[in-house]
Amino acid sequence: MLSRVADAVFWMARYMERTDNLLRALRTNYIASQDELLNFDWQLWVDGIGTPLPEGRVVGNYRDVLWHLMINRDNDTSVLVNIVRARENARSVQDYITKEVWQCMNDYYHLIRDTSTEHQILHGDPVSAFDSLLRESTLFYGTVDITLNRGEGYSFLNIGKYIERLLRTLDFLELKINELERGGNEMIQWKYLLYSLSGYEFHNKYYRNALSTENVIHQVIMNVQFPHAALYCLLQVERYFKRLDVISVPEHFKEVEFLLGRAISNMRYNGPEQKTLPQVKSLVNSTRIEIKSLSQKLASLYFGYS
Amino acid sequence: MPGRGARHLFLSRNRFHLNHSGVSSCILNFGLYIYKMSFAALLANYATRPNIWDEMCSQEKIRTHYQVFFDTLSQVSPAELARKDELAKKLFMSQGITFTVYSDGEGIEKIFPFDIIPRIITAQEWQLIERGIKQRIKALNIFLKDIYHDQFIIKDGVIPAALIYSCPNYLREMVKVDVPFDIYTHISGIDLIRDSDGSFYVLEDNLRTPSGVSYMLENRNMTYRIFPGLLPKNNVRSVKDYPDFLLKNLLSLANRQTSDPTVVLLTPGVFNSAYFEHTTLARLMGVELVEGRDLVVDNAKVYMKTTAGLKQIDIIYRRVDDDFIDPLIFNPNSILGVSGLYYAYRMGNVAIVNAPGNGVADDKAVYPFVPDMIRYYLNEEPILKTVPTYSMDNPEHFQYVFSNIHKMVIKKTNESGGYGMLMGSAADEKQIADYRKEVENGPRQFIAQPIISLSSVPCFIDGKIQPRHVDLRPFALYGPQGIEIVPGGLTRVALREGSLVVNSSQGGGSKDTWILS
Repeated sequence: MLSRVADAVFWMARYMERTDNLLRALRTNYIASQDELLNFDWQLWVDGIGTPLPEGRVVGNYRDVLWHLMINRDNDTSVLVNIVRARENARSVQDYITKEVWQCMNDYYHLIRDTSTEHQILHGDPVSAFDSLLRESTLFYGTVDITLNRGEGYSFLNIGKYIERLLRTLDFLELKINELERGGNEMIQWKYLLYSLSGYEFHNKYYRNALSTENVIHQVIMNVQFPHAALYCLLQVERYFKRLDVISVPEHFKEVEFLLGRAISNMRYNGPEQKTLPQVKSLVNSTRIEIKSLSQKLASLYFGYS
Repeated sequence: MPGRGARHLFLSRNRFHLNHSGVSSCILNFGLYIYKMSFAALLANYATRPNIWDEMCSQEKIRTHYQVFFDTLSQVSPAELARKDELAKKLFMSQGITFTVYSDGEGIEKIFPFDIIPRIITAQEWQLIERGIKQRIKALNIFLKDIYHDQFIIKDGVIPAALIYSCPNYLREMVKVDVPFDIYTHISGIDLIRDSDGSFYVLEDNLRTPSGVSYMLENRNMTYRIFPGLLPKNNVRSVKDYPDFLLKNLLSLANRQTSDPTVVLLTPGVFNSAYFEHTTLARLMGVELVEGRDLVVDNAKVYMKTTAGLKQIDIIYRRVDDDFIDPLIFNPNSILGVSGLYYAYRMGNVAIVNAPGNGVADDKAVYPFVPDMIRYYLNEEPILKTVPTYSMDNPEHFQYVFSNIHKMVIKKTNESGGYGMLMGSAADEKQIADYRKEVENGPRQFIAQPIISLSSVPCFIDGKIQPRHVDLRPFALYGPQGIEIVPGGLTRVALREGSLVVNSSQGGGSKDTWILS
């Protein structure tokens, strides 16, 4: 396939995955802030996942924060901007993705721009807004699964999706550690981390005891049954990348394969050793660096960036 | 039971009214059973204008080919029609059949206005159109071959040499270049209009990169959503074959010894207003949609950059204008094309569709000579009529046009999209004087034609059925096996009341076009 098209499909998937993760995290934290974590520090979130507000401005009330993180067009990382970018990527490969996928992106785009969504966030029930947006996101994944051909494009799409998911998991984990460093109840914080990664129920089933830091870290980093775990994501990237073997220029394939294999081994063998929070943070950072060089290689060898 | 107002209308059915404005109201022949007061109210405003061919109503009644549709329509309340109109807009939006006006970043999404009432053309009318267009394309294609080779038509004095050499779209680079199968006009869109007696005229030929065919396809997809059941009931011919015909023609142009030639569609990119059309055609044909930056020329062969390295291309269906396809030969500032493409083309290593240089044949100043071309090359009489055309570099014509300016439209010979023209009937003295100066500065660039009152068809506008002016652009595909025209086309509507300008850039919309079998 065309390099440009592969690139656009990759980024479409990244922006869509980013949007989905962001929405789930915001939804969870919003609910937490309403009920359990009454002194919820939104500033930390704005600094951690969004473009910070212009200097000197303090975060207003929670609705302003939600508005900023969700539909502020001037915020480079808002959900709306993500969806616009996903759609612009999709637009440039409209002939490659199916009509159904394109239609899905359109409905999503029109929904987040709808005044009713803004109204829900600013004056109504934000959870309803999260839920209807998340439904569109889920529809996107389903439509991709049902309609898209399993050629190269599908591999690039999934590589993008799992790279992004991995990075989001690392981000959210780091954010929680930052929150914990400021004090607070560890178990409650971990619970909401797992909620935002859709992993709380699984935790209870798999670890069969009350939350512990060790188990949470294991689940989020190492547990390959957990679809948001860092290692699971890396293995998925590998799985889809290997499918490109037949079409790739052999040297190109080898270069990326090497980087990917190294990242997986590092995580597999170093992961279990990281017990304290500062250690986890350093693992998060080193993984990020590895992913970055991996993406750069993909861009130069497969997407035609020189 | 019909109410009072309805009874009144009922009594007056089948009669031809003249109301105070001198405009005739076509009060229609509905059967009593399906009669609805609300619908009568809807149609009471259907005021056809004198001296204009209305395609639904003759003076006294509904034309037969509209009857089946009309009967169905008369069972639908205006509120229901408004809902259908709303549905159509929603579908266009959610399917992303839009064009984007980019001001900054995100841009504004717009849909091309679509009118829900289909335009209906009978089988006999279509037969004439089809024969007429085939004849015309055939002659124009021979003309292109002739003008870039031996120029018999100039030598025999049928067309003045000055006219050809003064045309900015005559490409000297194409002289003596042999194109595959001698076909230049692979895809053409011929704009037709109907005069007050209903006869068809060719308004202009589009032989370069005519657009609109995706709207022909999408408008049909809308119709079966809006009026379920109506297409089979009316025996409407399908337009679905278009992409298959086109792909078959493109594949047949490959020069390389390969069983699997590579076809691509070259688009200027997402910012182009026809981008939606490019993606639709690429998807329907299953070919790659490429941009200039995806291509590279090496050793006079064209390649595209893929994840697996370079891949050779055999046929390019380009939607980029001549001037932009190769910065080494044409506009050096273009980044929409690819350097070296033209050389690869001349070497015969890649086919370009349509051929470069077609602009000389659809130049508006060449247009009046097309009937002569048909006689000269084919020894036939033209089937479709041509609008009388005055060339402004002829002083007599110039005089005549400006002394009858209120009946005239003046157009630039190489502009399309309804830009740069003057409708004498709608312009004030100052506009005319300004335009006259412009014409005096470069008379070759202008032609004038008498204003033809385009035919009108029913449209659903502001909750009422109203007549609006339309043209028709069927699309002809010329391949080695001959010319094929998919039964249909793009009907463009001038949505403003009384307006004769149908271009989408000037407030025009479109509607589905039914060819009955």
